[in-house]
Amino acid sequence: MFSDYAALIVLLPVIAFVLTLFLGKKLYSGGALLPIAAIAGSFIISFGTFLEIYPKDGIVQQSWPWFAGMNIGILIDPLAVVMLMMVSFVSLLIHIYAVGYMSHDHAKPRYFAETSLFTAAMLSVVLSDNILQFFISWELVGLCSFLLIGFWYHKPSAAAAAKKAFLVTRVGDVLFLTGIVLLYVNMSEIIAGRGFTVPEGNFILQFKTMFEAIPLINPTQLTYITLLFFGGAIGKSGQFPLHGWLPDAMEGPTTVSALIHAATMVTAGVYLVARTFPMFAATPSTLSAGVPDSLLIVAYVGGFTALFAATMGLVMNDIKRVLAYSTVSQLGYMMLALGTAGAVVGAQAVGISMFHLISHAFFKALLFLCAGSVIHAVGTNDIREMGGLFGKMKITGTTMFIAALALAGIGIPFINIGTAGFFSKDMIIEKAFEYGELKGDFIPYAFAIIAALLTSIYIFRLWFMAFTGKPRSERHSHESPGVMTRPLMILALFALFFGFAHLGFYDYLNKNFELMTGEKAAPEGESLQMSPIIVLLPVIVGVLGFLISYAIYHKKMLDMSKLVSSENPLYKLLLNRYYEPKIGADIIGVKLTHDVVAQSGEFVDRKIIDGLVIDNIIGNTLFKLGEFVRKLQTGVVQNYASVILLGLGLLIILLRIKFGGT
Amino acid sequence: MNYNLLAPEIILTLLALVVIILGLLMRDVSKNMLGYVSAAGLLASIIYVLGNGMNTVGSFFYNSLTVDPLSQVFKLIFLIVSLIVVIASIEYFRDNRNQDEYYALLLLATVGMMVVASANDLVALFVGFELASMSTYVLAGFEKKNPSSLEAALKYFIIGSLSSALMLFGMSLVYGITGSTNIPAIIEFFKSNPMIATSSLDVVAMIFLVAGFGFKMALVPFHMWAPDTYEGSPSVVSSLLAAGSKKMGFVAAFRVLVLALVAIRIDIQMTFAILAIITMTYGNVVAISQRSIKRMLAYSSIAQAGYISLAFVVMTQMSIAGGVLLALGHALMKGGAFIAVALVGYMVLSDNRNAKNIDDLGNFAGLGKRAPITAFSLFVFFLALAGIPPSAGFVGKFVLFYSITIEAINQASSWLLIVVIIAILNSALSIYYYARVIKYMYVLPPNGEKIKEPAPYVVAILLAVIGTIGIGLYPEPFIQMAMNAAKVLGV
Repeated sequence: MFSDYAALIVLLPVIAFVLTLFLGKKLYSGGALLPIAAIAGSFIISFGTFLEIYPKDGIVQQSWPWFAGMNIGILIDPLAVVMLMMVSFVSLLIHIYAVGYMSHDHAKPRYFAETSLFTAAMLSVVLSDNILQFFISWELVGLCSFLLIGFWYHKPSAAAAAKKAFLVTRVGDVLFLTGIVLLYVNMSEIIAGRGFTVPEGNFILQFKTMFEAIPLINPTQLTYITLLFFGGAIGKSGQFPLHGWLPDAMEGPTTVSALIHAATMVTAGVYLVARTFPMFAATPSTLSAGVPDSLLIVAYVGGFTALFAATMGLVMNDIKRVLAYSTVSQLGYMMLALGTAGAVVGAQAVGISMFHLISHAFFKALLFLCAGSVIHAVGTNDIREMGGLFGKMKITGTTMFIAALALAGIGIPFINIGTAGFFSKDMIIEKAFEYGELKGDFIPYAFAIIAALLTSIYIFRLWFMAFTGKPRSERHSHESPGVMTRPLMILALFALFFGFAHLGFYDYLNKNFELMTGEKAAPEGESLQMSPIIVLLPVIVGVLGFLISYAIYHKKMLDMSKLVSSENPLYKLLLNRYYEPKIGADIIGVKLTHDVVAQSGEFVDRKIIDGLVIDNIIGNTLFKLGEFVRKLQTGVVQNYASVILLGLGLLIILLRIKFGGT
Repeated sequence: MNYNLLAPEIILTLLALVVIILGLLMRDVSKNMLGYVSAAGLLASIIYVLGNGMNTVGSFFYNSLTVDPLSQVFKLIFLIVSLIVVIASIEYFRDNRNQDEYYALLLLATVGMMVVASANDLVALFVGFELASMSTYVLAGFEKKNPSSLEAALKYFIIGSLSSALMLFGMSLVYGITGSTNIPAIIEFFKSNPMIATSSLDVVAMIFLVAGFGFKMALVPFHMWAPDTYEGSPSVVSSLLAAGSKKMGFVAAFRVLVLALVAIRIDIQMTFAILAIITMTYGNVVAISQRSIKRMLAYSSIAQAGYISLAFVVMTQMSIAGGVLLALGHALMKGGAFIAVALVGYMVLSDNRNAKNIDDLGNFAGLGKRAPITAFSLFVFFLALAGIPPSAGFVGKFVLFYSITIEAINQASSWLLIVVIIAILNSALSIYYYARVIKYMYVLPPNGEKIKEPAPYVVAILLAVIGTIGIGLYPEPFIQMAMNAAKVLGV
């Protein structure tokens, strides 16, 4: 019964958006209650739908024709339903938290309207049943992200960050759109040339139809299509080399960072790859034809990003930037999972990746909200100015410690007790190892395990610097109000206990693509027997990282001042984020794009096109013509009548000439 | 005969009589309610049309009137336009002591247009045409004390009479050739006598009909009355003329010309292509240099007529459907835009009772601040008129241009492609003068206080906005509807 109202999952937040935007000023707390109620409704319907389809392995499909063979539709399969629940749930908690966090802001109606629209767009991404609707919602998500990063638009850095995010993700979006166009061309070709038919009631760009057409599409073309899709995912999920916008996006309110740039929007890229996974899996896996396997590229980009971002997380001093790099790094893990596990266990990789995605959403949202709580209390983002907060902020401190444990993947192997990150991340690292065994290529595994060590170091560095030691500045800090701490506690419970759902989760997600296409997935291969050291290693590096941070930042056993100085080139490189902002903004942005392309474009446009063509030829001529014809309109009715008769005569003569006379 | 199918016309005719009788008996003060009564009647007619279904078929009065998908679509267009106009008129003509006559005439004009949409006989067609024309002549001059309104009405009347005469002459020639006024019978005759059908006499007859319909459509060179009349008439009447009565010309042309030309099978593609291109280019170019928004809208309306008449160039089912869609879209966009201008006029007059040139571009400065709903709606209408998605204007143009491109490819004809390219360039050109008004509305500082936008205007404008965007967002059913309508013509 819930599944019949699936459309409301998206429509409720849309309605809340409109109402809050126009009526928010007159309502309690800038109209915060409308989005909260609407998103709670979305969550209830999502959860109800889950309860309905879970026992019978069902999926929900609803579809309406839109135009020219396209459709609008809803597809709720295991993959979508877990995302729906996660997005609506996390969004709900963050909206509640924002009532407290944004209480001093004057533009609350705008804030709540935009986050509500964002939630609607993201939910629409998740339950799209076709790639076009997916793309439209994806763009809407990007727009909301732009608006919310620049929420405090009077701050120049926020406006710049919003612009950067918009431009950088646009690169990915263009690739994605190109991929869709290429896919459409290929689909039309196989419909015309190879007798592929779209079944009655289905539409050309529906995922179902796309998957059915995979065997007929030229494999090289399929590789291009998937790589273009992955280009979109790179932009949205902040993978190397389009990662630079995500840390800058922290200029928005912390709740926005938690909602968009940690838990939901950035996962859209991973979701895109997971959603079209059968296409990625079907790409030819030989290097001989000069065409690399798409999954290989996904694995390498993901693995490299995981490590690359973690190194920068080590040295950042802005609490939110540390978390931002951590997000980039964890998204890299998810991509890595799709790439490596995809080669080992096929479509089950989706389950593995999604499990990390969901558990990450919980603990990363928690980390951000804790960070928000800290910032709310001390009024600065800089962890060097914090310290000793644990005594004053017990709830925030404890929940953040739990989140850090989850991020570091701490747990007890063999008896399977641990945090959410323990189950989800270790599975990815193990699969990367199996991939190494299978292909003789241990590079992705190396990426994963080194990044795990760094992850543990930077997150505990953050925690120790913020919560222990002596206060480094004279600030009066206090624990946040209940409306803020309660969401923290709920999320902490999930960060602690969500991991135990892993087996059921994998089982459920494994059925995903069977349910849609009706084909059985390939039987599961025998799992490799791994040596205990491989199983233990992720936890060992996690604990090791904790100990290193404890030694350095809590006990101050090592003097860091030598290492952390502008003399040290490595430190400088990391602190300057590998000069990515310099390369991205100054060289590519200013020098290349602005100075070369834009300036020469402007020259051509202003001097040649505007100057000569528009002004002198088209502009002047049209204006003069317009003026001249205007004079023909004399206002004298006799002239009008004459013109009619003249025209009539001309028309008759024209036709006489054409046909000759009879 | 199932009179349910004619119930919308019957309701409106009776209502017009009731309104005028009530008007005689009522005190001036209470005449304001007549607007609501008329709106209710129009709404009832719309519901009746929809209730009868868009695909019903029926024939009446010795086959002189027919109900089919084509007539249903156009009836819907006329009724919706009239409804929007009536709602806006509640405010525009508030406390006018001649309101009863206004509403009665407006309802009769609507009935006339609906009769044309249904006409299956040249005589019925002419009667409907004249009913609508006569009523609108009076409506155009309804502001008796305003000389420019009178001038507008007089010009409209003189040119209208000339065109009616030409049209009637064309009809009499057709009757002379075929011996019948019944349209299917005429078509039958042409089909069985191809020699006569392609004779000069017949071609001349057709051209006379084109002139008659072209007057209503405002095709160049039969357009010259339109800017003067639209500018001088009360804005709500301009809205009716541009959005409603103009479409009457198109439905008549669809009914008679398309059928006849298909039967005659003479190649006059080129003639219509030239007419269409001249019309759209002329409209757009002259619109650029206008400062009066109503004149600008009039020229833009001429340009739109140019686009719609592209449907006659290839005469495939899809191109006619595109023409129908664009007619529907244009009715909403242009109707709404004129009413928005009426609201600006209201705003200017409430600043200064004796203001002149109330639709001057300068009065639109800062409208985004002074009247946000109106400004936003105008913004939507202008983008839609320029053919920017998602809007009804885009859908109509897309289907129309697409159909011609397909035909160009099928016939391997390069000049048809050139026609499409010119049409698209024209759309681009039109953005210039729309964008200029948008700049005035949103960039320039306002020259007055924020006003309270009167509810009837807002309702009418928002109806048009919802229709414009709704068709753009969910075009499929409307495309289907237009395709069904085009199928009636058997092209």
